[in-house]
Amino acid sequence: MKRRVAITGLGVVTPAGNDVASMWSRLLEGRSCGAPITNFDASAFSTRIAAEVRDADALPMPDDRKLAKFASRSHRFALVAAEQAIRDAGIAPTASDRTRWGCVVGTGMMTVAYDELSSLQRSAAIEGQLDPSRMLDDAASNDPLAFCRSQSTAGVSLLMRRFGIGGYASSVHTACASGGQALGTALRVIRRGAADRVLAGGFDSMISPVGLSGFCLLSAVSPDNDTPERASRPFDVTRNGFLLGEGAGFVVLEEWESAVARGAKIYAELAGDGNSLSSYRITDSHPSGDGPIQAMQRALADANATAEDVDYLNAHGTSTPMNDKSEAAASAVVFGDRVGEVSVSSTKSVMGHLIAAAGAVEGVVCALSIHHSKLPVNANLRELDPECAHLDIVREVPRDRRVRVALSNSLGFGGSNSCLAFRHPEETAEVMARDRHQAGRRG
Amino acid sequence: MSRIVITGVGSISAAGRSAAATVDAALEGRSAIATIESFDVSTWPRKRGAEIKDYDAAKLAGDRKVLKLIRRSDVLGLFAANQAIAEAGFARHRETLDDAGNVAFSESTACYVGSGGGAFNVNYEFFPLMAHAGDDMQAFGHDLASTVNPMWLLRALPNNVLCHVGIRHGIKGPNGCITNHTTSGMLAVIESAQAIREGEAVRAVAAGHDAPVEPQQILYYHRCGLMAKDAIRPFDASRDGSLLGEGAGALVLETEASALERDAKILGEYLGGGDASEGLGLLALAPDGEGAARAIRVALDDAGIGTADVGMIVAHGNGTPQSDASEAAALKTVFGAAMPPVTAFKWVTGHPLAASGILDVTLGLEAARRGVAPGIATLGTLDPVCAGVRASQSTQTLARDVVLILCRGFGGTNSAVIVRAIS
Repeated sequence: MKRRVAITGLGVVTPAGNDVASMWSRLLEGRSCGAPITNFDASAFSTRIAAEVRDADALPMPDDRKLAKFASRSHRFALVAAEQAIRDAGIAPTASDRTRWGCVVGTGMMTVAYDELSSLQRSAAIEGQLDPSRMLDDAASNDPLAFCRSQSTAGVSLLMRRFGIGGYASSVHTACASGGQALGTALRVIRRGAADRVLAGGFDSMISPVGLSGFCLLSAVSPDNDTPERASRPFDVTRNGFLLGEGAGFVVLEEWESAVARGAKIYAELAGDGNSLSSYRITDSHPSGDGPIQAMQRALADANATAEDVDYLNAHGTSTPMNDKSEAAASAVVFGDRVGEVSVSSTKSVMGHLIAAAGAVEGVVCALSIHHSKLPVNANLRELDPECAHLDIVREVPRDRRVRVALSNSLGFGGSNSCLAFRHPEETAEVMARDRHQAGRRG
Repeated sequence: MSRIVITGVGSISAAGRSAAATVDAALEGRSAIATIESFDVSTWPRKRGAEIKDYDAAKLAGDRKVLKLIRRSDVLGLFAANQAIAEAGFARHRETLDDAGNVAFSESTACYVGSGGGAFNVNYEFFPLMAHAGDDMQAFGHDLASTVNPMWLLRALPNNVLCHVGIRHGIKGPNGCITNHTTSGMLAVIESAQAIREGEAVRAVAAGHDAPVEPQQILYYHRCGLMAKDAIRPFDASRDGSLLGEGAGALVLETEASALERDAKILGEYLGGGDASEGLGLLALAPDGEGAARAIRVALDDAGIGTADVGMIVAHGNGTPQSDASEAAALKTVFGAAMPPVTAFKWVTGHPLAASGILDVTLGLEAARRGVAPGIATLGTLDPVCAGVRASQSTQTLARDVVLILCRGFGGTNSAVIVRAIS
C-alpha cells in the first residue's frame, strides 16, 4: 500500500501578508494587492505595477547573522516562511533523524541581484559590451558572498543548514509550475521511502528591473497602471495579463502514520501529484486544454480520486487571455457534467503571480480551504468571459463549503503542468478504514 | 518489478561528441582542458577550461529555428538528448504505431532534465541598455523595448531543454527540470527511473547540460579557492583545484518489456540511485565524506546489491583538495579494503557542473561495456590521505559489470547511481 503524506505545517511570506493568518484574511476579503512598484523606479516601464511583499526589511530573520549574509531577497522570504512552517508543525529535524528529512524547493530563475549586475556594468561594460579583463577589478565580481547568493542551490543550502536537514535535497525550476512540482516531488520522495518528512516549498522575487523587463518584453503582464488593484482579474472577459508578485510558501510534509502517531495537527493529505508536458508552445497551453487536462487527470488518479470527489479548484488563473481560456477548457473536460459543481477561484486575483513560489503558496491556500471549510474569493471578476461561463467561480464573498478534495493547478512557461490533489483528513481516515476493511476481507 | 534498461546514450564534452569519443580520449591520456579561447584570458589569474571546439549551434541543436529561443548550454543539452533518442530508435518505432498508439507513446514517455548554464552571461544582454541609461531608471524603462531582444526571458528559462525536447520528440509524460547545481543531471536520472518504477511512465529521457566556461563563473570559483592552475589531478598529492568544462549527457531509460517489444538494443540496466546531503552550508564539506558515504549506501540498498557486486567506481574527482579528500574517506568507509577499480573523468572533460553526474554515467557505462576503468593520466602520486582509493594512472581491467557513479555539489549534496553494463 502507498505511503500517505500529511501536511502538518504551513508558512508564507506573500504580498497578501507575511504570515498565514494575515494572508488568509486578505484572501477572504478579496482585496487585491496590486499597487505601483516601490522596489525600484519603474515609472517608465510599460507596466509599473506589481504586488510586493510589504515590510520586507522587518521580516523576523533567524538569529544567525552568518546565514543572513548568504541570503538574497527571495532567500529571506524562504527562510521566514520555512521557519513558520516548522514551528507550526511542532517538529524539527534532530541529530538522530536528520537524514530522514528532505528538502525540495522551487527556485526562481533570477539569481543575480540588480545592484551587482549594475556594478559589473559600470566597471567592465562601460560601452555596453563586457570587457572581461576589467571584471577583475569589479568588487561584486570578486565577492564570494555574491557568488554564494547567486547559486541555484543557495536557497536549499540555507534551509538545510538552518534546520539541520540531511536527506534528499533538490531544487527544481519549471517556471510558473516550480512550486507545484517541488511539492509533487516531495510527495513522491516520502511515498517511495527516501524520506519520512520533507520541508517543501518555493520562493521567488522577480520585481526587479531585469525580472520585470522580461515580462514587459513579452507583454505578459497587465499594463493597467492606473488601476493596479483591478489589474489581476482572472476569468474576466477584459483580462489582459498577470500581476507580478513575489514571496515564498512552505509546508512540512510527513508520512501519514507517523504524523498521526505524534498527534500532529493535519491540515490535509497531499494525496496526488499530476505532472504533464504540453509540448505545444513555450508560453501557451493549447486552447483545448491539452496538457493541463492530463496533469489534472493524473493528479486525481494518483490520489485514487475521481472528478466526483472534487469540491474546489485553486486555478492557476493568471489573468492572461490564453491561460484562463485553456484552463477553463481543461476543467470542462476533466470535470465533465460536474464542472458546475466544482467551486473555482484564482487567488492570483489578490496576491498576483508569485512565479516559482506560486504553486507552493497556492498549496498552502488549498490546505487552509480544507482546514477552514472556506473558499477564498476570485477578486475583480465583473464580467465572466463567455468561454469560461461553465465555471462556478467564487465571486464577491468567500464561500462556506466543506472540501473533500481540492486541486491546485500550476502551469509553466515551457509547457510543464503541475496539478496537486489535496484531501480532507477526515476523508483520508475514511478511505483508509475502507482499505483496511477490504484488505481484511481479502486476507 | 520489471527491470529498467538503458536503450540510448547521448554524450558531448570538449573531448568528443559521443561517450565513445570521450572514453577514447581518457584511454589515450588526452585531456580536453586547454587555454580558454572564448575570451581574452591573458591578464587572468586562471586561464584554463574545457571548451567545445568547432561549435556550430545549428548543427549541434539539429534545428536552426530554435536557436533564437535557446542558449549555448541548451544547445548541448538538445544535442545529447537527440543523440540518445536517435540511438533508442523512438522515431522508427513510432512509425509503426497508429494515432492512438502515438498518443499513448507520448503520454507514457517522461522527461527529466538537470539544467545549468550561463547563469551570469544571460544578464549581459542588458548591458547596452544599462550603459545608455546609467542610473536613470526612467531611461531604462523607456528604451527597454527598443534595445533588448523581446525573446530575452524565454532564452533565459532554465527549463528550455525540457520544453524543446518535448516539442521536438512529442513527449508529454511526467517531467521535471532540476536546478540543483552539480547533482542536477544525476537527480534527473534518478527521477526518470522512479517515474518508470512507479508505473507513471514506460520510458523516460533523462538529460543534463551546462556551459559554465564564462568569465564571471571562473572568477568566482577562483575567489572561492576552487580553481586549479593548469589541470585537474584527482586524488593526486599536488592537486590544486578544479577547472570548468562544457558538456551534456542523456539517457533513454525504459522497462525491459518495452525495450524487448520494440526490439531495441539494450546497452545497460539501471539498478538504483541515492541522494543524501550534509547541509553544513553552501561551500562546506564534511571532512569524513559522511554525506557521500550515505548516498552510496542508499544507492546500494536501492539496487539491492552489496559492495562486492560493484566492478568500478566513477568518482566525482573534481581535483579540489577538500572534495577529493572527503570523497576518498567516503569510499574507504563504504568499500574498505575490498574497493573495486576507481576512475574519474573530469580531468578529461573539465567540470561540467549541472551535467557532470549524468555525463559521468554515460562515460562509466561506455567504459564498463569495454570492461575497463580508464587510467587517470594526471594522477602522479596518490595523496597519502587518499591511500586506499584504487585509482591508477594506468587502465584497470574490470572483474564485474556493475558501475557506481558518484556526484557531489554545493550545499553538501551527494547523489549516486548504479548501472550494469550490457555488451
